[in-house]
Amino acid sequence: MELSMYRKITKLCLAFILLSVSANINAEELNIYSHRQPFLINPFLELFTEKTGIKTNVIYSTKGLAQRLKAEGENSPADVILTVDIGRLYVYEDLGLLAKIESSTLNVSVPEHLRSKNKTWFALSKRSRVIASSKERVKEDEIKSIEDLADKKWRGRVCSRPGSHVYNRALMASIILAHGRLKAEEWAKELVNNLARRPQGNDRAQVKAIFEGQCDIAIINNYYFGKLKFSKDDEQRRWAGAMRLTFPNQSVGDRGAHINISGGGVAKHSKNKENAVKLLEFLVSAESQMLYGQINFEYPVNPNVQASAELKSWGTFREDKVSIQKIAELSVEAQKMIDRVGW
Amino acid sequence: MKQRLKIKFDIVKVLDFGTVILSLIILGPIVSLFYMSLGDSADIWPHLVETVIFRYFWNTFVLMIGVAVCSTVIGVGSAWLISNYSFSFSKVLDWFLLLPAACPAYLVAYAYTDFLEYAGTVQGLFRATFGYSSPNDYYFPEIRSLGGAIFVMSFVLYPYIYVLARTAFRKAPLTLYQVARLYQKSTFFRIGLPLARPAILAGMALVCMEVVSDFGTVEYFSLETLTLGIFNVWIGMNSITAAAQLSVITFLFVIGLLFVEARSRAAQRFNDTSRGQSYISLEKIYGLKSLLAFSVCITPPMIGFFIPILVLATNSMTVISSEILMELKGPLLNSVFVSILCSFTVVLISCFVVATAQNSQSSVIKILANCSASGYAFPGTMLAVGVVVFAGIGDYLIINLQTYNKDLFSNIHFGGTIFLLLFAYVVRFQAIGFGAINSGIQKISPNLFAVSRSLGKTFSGTTSMITLPLLKTYILAAALLVFVDTMKELPMTLLLRPFNFETLATYTYQYAHDELMTRASVPALMIILTGLLPVVFLNHVLRDS
Repeated sequence: MELSMYRKITKLCLAFILLSVSANINAEELNIYSHRQPFLINPFLELFTEKTGIKTNVIYSTKGLAQRLKAEGENSPADVILTVDIGRLYVYEDLGLLAKIESSTLNVSVPEHLRSKNKTWFALSKRSRVIASSKERVKEDEIKSIEDLADKKWRGRVCSRPGSHVYNRALMASIILAHGRLKAEEWAKELVNNLARRPQGNDRAQVKAIFEGQCDIAIINNYYFGKLKFSKDDEQRRWAGAMRLTFPNQSVGDRGAHINISGGGVAKHSKNKENAVKLLEFLVSAESQMLYGQINFEYPVNPNVQASAELKSWGTFREDKVSIQKIAELSVEAQKMIDRVGW
Repeated sequence: MKQRLKIKFDIVKVLDFGTVILSLIILGPIVSLFYMSLGDSADIWPHLVETVIFRYFWNTFVLMIGVAVCSTVIGVGSAWLISNYSFSFSKVLDWFLLLPAACPAYLVAYAYTDFLEYAGTVQGLFRATFGYSSPNDYYFPEIRSLGGAIFVMSFVLYPYIYVLARTAFRKAPLTLYQVARLYQKSTFFRIGLPLARPAILAGMALVCMEVVSDFGTVEYFSLETLTLGIFNVWIGMNSITAAAQLSVITFLFVIGLLFVEARSRAAQRFNDTSRGQSYISLEKIYGLKSLLAFSVCITPPMIGFFIPILVLATNSMTVISSEILMELKGPLLNSVFVSILCSFTVVLISCFVVATAQNSQSSVIKILANCSASGYAFPGTMLAVGVVVFAGIGDYLIINLQTYNKDLFSNIHFGGTIFLLLFAYVVRFQAIGFGAINSGIQKISPNLFAVSRSLGKTFSGTTSMITLPLLKTYILAAALLVFVDTMKELPMTLLLRPFNFETLATYTYQYAHDELMTRASVPALMIILTGLLPVVFLNHVLRDS
C-alpha cells in the first residue's frame, strides 16, 4: 500500500516534468529579452502588434540575460535584445551574441556615433546626464560644467548615487575620454571630497536631498526631472520644484552634455530575423520616437524627429558627440578609477 | 530467508543511488559556477586587492555577525517565552511572531527608509517639534548604513530561528525539565538551549546564508558588501569569471563557517529518549511579568511586520484602483502556483534525502546530501547564471540524443521552462527543507530506526511509519518557510522565467527598480498578504500537532 502511494507520486512527478519541459516556441511570434521594464516597452509593443500583426513575448530582467542567451546558444528562442544603457549592449556584442543587421532605415535613422561599427546594435533613445541644483542656494550660472563639480567651493554640498552605477560609470568614461586618465582621476577624487554624504540612493533620492537641504548639487538623468515634475505624488512634484536643471558643458568650444542611450539588437541565432529587424525599425520610426519622449522623457535618436514639447521647454542643448562605443570600451577603466577614489 | 535479506539490502542501495543522483543534479548549477570561476581574470584581482576587496569582506562579515546575533536573540528569546509561559495575548503573539517571515527584506528596507531617513516622516516630525532646520542641528542615526541593514534584516529574518527553536522547545521532554527544576538549575541554559541547539543553529545557518546572498537591501542602502562587489565586477568590469570567483569565495566562506559549527556539534547528541510523550506545559504568569513578556514578544512583529505594512498600505492607498487589481490577478496566480509547487517539491526531495542519508552507512552520501543544501549561500542571480549554464549543458545533451531517437526527444528542452525555474528554486531552497527536516531527525533516537528494522520492517516501511510521523512538524515548518521564500524570490525568477511569466515579485520589481515606490507598494503588499495565508494555516497545524 505504501509502495503504491510512492508510485503514484513518482508518476505524477514524471508527468509534470514531461509537460513542463516541452515548451513550444511559435516561430511567427517575436521573442524579446529586455533590460527595460515591461510597463515602459509595452506601449511600443502593442502599437507594433497592431500595425504588423506580429505578436510579441517578453522576458524582462536587469541582469544575466546575456549569460542566458549565451548558454542557450543555437536553441535560444530570443529574437530581439533591448537594453537601457550602452554598457550592456556592448556586453552582448563582446560575447558575440548579436547578428549583423543590414538595414538602410536603421542606418539613416540612427546617427553614426550612436550605433555599433559592426552593425550589431543601434541606439533607440537618448538621455542626458544633467546637473540638478538648488534654486534657493545655488545661483544660476554658478555651475556650468561637470568639471565644476570638483571645485573646492562645493565642499560638502554635492550628493551622488554610487559611482559604480552604470550611469555614473559611463559619465566617468566620458571624462577619461575628454581629459585623459590622470586628470579624470583627479576630478573624481575632488568630487568625492565634495560629497555631502556617503554615495547612496538613486537619482530621485538626490533631488529629494536637494529639496530637504542635505546638499545643493547632484547629477541626474534628465528624465527623472520629468518623472518628478509630473508625479502623481504631490511631494515628488515639490522636489522637482526645488531644483534647477542645467545641461552641462554648453559653453562655446566645450564638448557638450554627456549622453547615454537605450538600444537594441537582433540575437545571432534568431529564427525570425526579418521581423526582429522590423521591430527595431519600428522603434526608430517617427511615431515611436515621439512616444519615447511622451512615456519616459527621453530624447529621440532620429534626427528627423523633434523632441516633445515638454522636453523642449527644458531648453535645447548640445550633446557630446563622442562615439558611444568608446564610452563602453572604457567601462572597466572607469570602474577601476571609481573603486580607487571610493565614489 | 537469506534471499529476502538480500533484496532488502538492494532497495537500500537503490535509494542510496537515487540520493547520489539527486544530489549531483542539484549540485549541477553550483559546480557550473565553480567551473566558470576557473577562467582567467588575472588583471582584475590585483586591482580588487588594492582597492575594495577588504572593504567588501569586512562589511559582509560585520553584517552577517550582526544579523546572526540579533536575530538569534530575538528568535530564541521570544520562542522560549511563548513555549514556556502563558500570558496576555500569548496565543495571538505566537503567530504574530511569524508574520515578518512573509516580508521580503528589501521591501522592509524601502519602507523604513521612507519612514526614518532625513526626508522621512519621523525626522520631519522631529524637526517640526524641536524647530530644527538642517541635518547639522541634531543627531539621528542614518538608516542607510550597516547598522540600519542589521536592524532591518534581523527583524525580518528572526522567524527562521523562531519557528525552529519553538518547535524544538515544545518537543523537549518534560522529564528533563523536571530534573533541572529538582536541582534548581536554569531550565533555559541547562535543558532548553542545549536541546534546541541543532534547530537554532539550522535557523542561524539559514539567516547567515540569507544575509550573505542578499542583494536588494544592500543595494538599496549602497553598502559595499561582497554581493554588491560581485555585481560591480560582473557588470562594471564585464567579467563574469571574476564575479564567479568572488561568489565562490563568499560561498566557501559561509560553508566554512557552517562546517566549523557542524564539527563543534558532532561531539554531542540530542536525541529524545524519554518514554512518555509528555512535553512541557505552559506556566501561567500574571501582572508585571505578563506585561514584560508581552512587550518582548510584540516588539519583533511590530518592527518586522506592522510598521512596514502600515507604510506600504498608506502608499498603496494613493494609487490603488480596480484596474491595478485586475492586472495583478495573473501575477498573483503565478506566484501561488510556483510557490505551492516549489514547497511540495522541496519537502519531497528533502524528506527523501534526509531519510536515506540518515539510514545510509556511507559518509559520501551524508556529505553529498549536505552539499546539495548549500545553494542558499550564493546570491540568487549568480545561482541563476549557474542554472542557465547547467541547463545549457542539458539541452546540448538532448540535441545529441535526438540524433539517436528523434521522436522521443524532439520536443524537450529545459531553457526557459517552468521546470527550469522550479529546479532553480529547489537548488536554492533545498537548504531550508533539508535544514529544517534534518534538524528534526537528529532529535529522533537512532535506536528507534534500529528497532523498527530489527522488527522486520523495511526501510520504506520504517520511513512511513516511524520517520515521517515523527517529523511531521518539522516537515510543515519546512513547507511554510519554503512557500514564503518562493513568494518573495526575485532574482532567479527574473532571469529564468518563461516568456510573459510575471510573478508578484517581478511585477513589484519593475516599478521598484524605477523608484516608483507607491506603484510598487500594491503588489508588494499582496506578496506579504498572500504569504500570510500559509503562515496562519501551517502555524495552526503546527500548534495542534
